[in-house]
Amino acid sequence: MSELHFLSPDRARSEDLFAPRFASPLARVLAGTTSVLDLSQLGKIEVRGDVDAIDVEAEVVRITPRRALVLCPYEQCAELRARLPGLVIDMTGALAGLELEGEQAMRRLTDLDLEGLPAAGKVAEVPALVLRDGSRFRIFFPQEFAHYVGEVVLDVLEGIE
Amino acid sequence: MRLPEQLNERIDRSRPVRFFFAGRVVEGFEGDTIGSALFASGQRVFSRSFKYHRRRGLLCCSGGCPNCMMRVDGVPNVRVCTEPVREGAHVHAQNVLGSLEHDLLAAVDHFGGPFTPVGFYYRTMIRPRSLWPLYERFLRNVAGLGRLDKHAGRTRRFDTEHRRTEVLVIGGGRSGREAARSAAAAGRQVVLVDERGAPADGAFEVLAPARAIGIYEGGLVPVDAGNVLYRFRAERIVVATGALEQPLLFPGNDLVGVHLPGAVRRLVDEWSIKPGERAVIVSADERGLAVADKLERAGTSVVERIDLRSAPPRQLAARGSRGRLRSVVVDGREIECDLLVMSGGRQPAYSLLAQAGARVEYDAERGIFVPSDLPSNVEAVGSAAGEQEPAAVPAATFEGAEGAGRCFVCVCEDVTEKDVKRAIAEGFDSIELGKRYTTVTMGPCQGRLCHVPSIRLFARENETDEKAIGTTTARPPWAPVSLGLLAGRGHEPTKRTSIHHRHEEAGATMMWTGFWRRAHSYEHAANEALNVHRGVGVIDVSTLGKLLVQGPDAARFLELLYPNRFGDMKVGRIRYGVLGTDAGRIMDDGTIARLGEDQYYVTTTSTGADTVIEWFEWWNAVWGLDVETVNLTGALAAVNVAGPRSRELLGRLAQIDTSNEGISYLDAKETYVAGVPCLILRIGFVGELGYELHFASPYGEYLWDALLEYGADLGIRPFGLEPQRILRLEKMHILVGQDTDSESNVLEAGMPWIAKLDKEDFVGKWALEHVQERGFREQLVGFEMTDGVVPAEGGQIVLGGRPAGRVTSSRLSPQLGRAIGMAWVRPELAHEGAEIDIKVNGGFARACVRLKPFFDPEGERLRS
Ligand code: FES
Repeated sequence: MSELHFLSPDRARSEDLFAPRFASPLARVLAGTTSVLDLSQLGKIEVRGDVDAIDVEAEVVRITPRRALVLCPYEQCAELRARLPGLVIDMTGALAGLELEGEQAMRRLTDLDLEGLPAAGKVAEVPALVLRDGSRFRIFFPQEFAHYVGEVVLDVLEGIE
Repeated sequence: MRLPEQLNERIDRSRPVRFFFAGRVVEGFEGDTIGSALFASGQRVFSRSFKYHRRRGLLCCSGGCPNCMMRVDGVPNVRVCTEPVREGAHVHAQNVLGSLEHDLLAAVDHFGGPFTPVGFYYRTMIRPRSLWPLYERFLRNVAGLGRLDKHAGRTRRFDTEHRRTEVLVIGGGRSGREAARSAAAAGRQVVLVDERGAPADGAFEVLAPARAIGIYEGGLVPVDAGNVLYRFRAERIVVATGALEQPLLFPGNDLVGVHLPGAVRRLVDEWSIKPGERAVIVSADERGLAVADKLERAGTSVVERIDLRSAPPRQLAARGSRGRLRSVVVDGREIECDLLVMSGGRQPAYSLLAQAGARVEYDAERGIFVPSDLPSNVEAVGSAAGEQEPAAVPAATFEGAEGAGRCFVCVCEDVTEKDVKRAIAEGFDSIELGKRYTTVTMGPCQGRLCHVPSIRLFARENETDEKAIGTTTARPPWAPVSLGLLAGRGHEPTKRTSIHHRHEEAGATMMWTGFWRRAHSYEHAANEALNVHRGVGVIDVSTLGKLLVQGPDAARFLELLYPNRFGDMKVGRIRYGVLGTDAGRIMDDGTIARLGEDQYYVTTTSTGADTVIEWFEWWNAVWGLDVETVNLTGALAAVNVAGPRSRELLGRLAQIDTSNEGISYLDAKETYVAGVPCLILRIGFVGELGYELHFASPYGEYLWDALLEYGADLGIRPFGLEPQRILRLEKMHILVGQDTDSESNVLEAGMPWIAKLDKEDFVGKWALEHVQERGFREQLVGFEMTDGVVPAEGGQIVLGGRPAGRVTSSRLSPQLGRAIGMAWVRPELAHEGAEIDIKVNGGFARACVRLKPFFDPEGERLRS
């Protein structure tokens, strides 16, 4: 069985000639903005199986009774991959993430019930996972949509100012 | 000219506002609407009607009729009676050729009668057909309301906002506010929306001016607030939309100077304007008669009051000149006047309720339609629910008089009493048919003014009652909405690979494939293809669908899904697979690599990825096997390094033995490439020695750069989708969707080895067996042109003058120097060297059928 090393960005290693550079898919669109934080390099590990058996020091977001996303600092990915139960898939590179402030902006980005977060639904028309801490929101979505989502988010924020 | 300060006036006389109308400067005050300011400046004609170009004035003065639509700062169809004044605005009349006073198109009113009868667009200007271009030009010029500036850019922003609330109250009148207050007092979260500018209230949120434009399933209420479209979801919806003042149907009822009571009330109360000199009031209710006091206060003398409840006249007609009211004839008496206030009672504004699913019933006593049986989440209060003062039921129409104009049922679409009668005589006697034929209720007022009167007229003409005629279906939008608001911001969901920006920086021509942006080519497609044959090229294939299939039943699962066999594969090997539908048709293709005993890595086509992933998940749920499928499409970037020198390049970067023994054709190996962990698939879609590297997306740009840097001396160049298409065609590798359609199966597509019909079962097996039994009807083959012309894709293949197939792909191969392609042909043509004729530019071109790949037919280069 392959351990799917090629899925995990943190397994890249600098060698004498090579120094792999992690690039966020939001880097270009968010360059020069301070209102939106880029969370793309956060560790994001998907667990399938017995979600209740997850016992780690990290934020666990349940998506279904059999599926959860564990969020952690990038450096912690390796340790968590080893400790998490069930089928463990490193989604760090798959999902882009951003954090923004303000309920009104969110109301213009998604039809999700902001009182019922975390939840999965559409943000700027693309599938996303949304988390809330007070008036701050974190959104995770497929990285291939990142540049587009970034543009929409900045545009929405501009419309509110 | 304004009256002295009125008690509730809305204008702030200390703050003048100036705007332009038809080249002159008009002055109003803060608090005015463009309409009120124009009226105060003496303007009485506000528009020309839709069909006959008749002069029209402020009939309702509350945003409910078509009479005051103008172009304001380039935006057509603005109802100026409710549009607040703004400094420097440019206001123009629309639907006129000339000016409001001298509109050349008014000729239609004088001479057009016989040419524009009801339903004229169904029967005139059709013959002779040869004149259609002429008719069309004319019709396009006169049709429609307002004009859009074709060169206009985006001038304002529109946003959409999703809102939730416990209680949504629509309408800020007395009942609406009461309902909102009591819900708020009961601790509910309440939002009230109001078309007019209802004032704020401490107890609940007020959105105004904002207009609910419909009630959809699930309690969705879109609210138009000008620049923002609110999509409300409410647990409870309270409809307090009030009632609509109804006009009376009598000859001359569209003259300038004929108003509904509300218009007069607003002109006097809110803007302190004297609406006329001599007024006649004809009213079915107290409200209508009550404007007499206001008029007197404003200095207008009320010369006649006719109460339809006590003494309804038989005859009522208005006479005018130049479109303006001059006198009213009542039962033989002519009364001079310049103002006629008409009131046919008030009809509950039930449209939103009906949209929500309420029933609407006719109340014969009161002569109105009343909503009933409301859905449980919707409530009606106040006049919308039918609570209102008693009123007389007016006659369907009144008798006319010599010299009085036409009797209009619908002012939006210029439908007259005569038109309705004629439609009924022609057999359009049901209200739904009559509506479509005459277009009554289909104009900008959306039936506010013409719905009930037209039903009443239909009832009289059909010698039945309103109940039997019934209402037409109420549909959103209840009020006109600008397309800009519905469209919202111009964002288009777009997928970009993690290498995307490198392609743009390299000046690639980008193209859409599904949601993806991909490089078509960088400079010259043919050269990019040649570079792959001669040296080494690299293409971004991150868009490929990628799936992990893992679990004890993984092999079984795949064998059930695909016609192929996978259980016999060795770990570390790759197989080409074609996915079929339950009808045995080709759905997608890709490679399947066995990474472990119970672990497979599957790739799909770029555009088919989402469908295939759903397909996998769906069958997984159906079969309940012990297997997990994980979508890794976006998690991984992928590049294909191809060409005779690709091995040398990989050798410099990868930590494995890249010799043919180290990694041979159709091997899958994991290793580090330039420090990045990769899965290397040695496959050959483009026909040369090649390696597909799959690795974590965040390293897309890094690895792309590394390949270009370390391959520079080998002549590496990126290649796009177009050169890839040439290369794969040289190898006769199919493109699903291009060379196949919804009818194609693997047997007829020339890939019989894919279908393992001796397997117990797989999706679509029965269909392939059936194809085998019935024999082939067509086959997918290659062809080579004898004279080098490239036929169009989709081009017809002809045999003895009859269609015998079609071209699916065709290109000029720079490597072979020949025009090649693939085509579906009849089975008798599917043999090496068969000659076929292909339609090209009106003539025919000869081609030879080829069954083996045009390039490297034995695959020696692929395996080298
Ligand atoms: S007068 Fe403006 S809409 Fe009726």
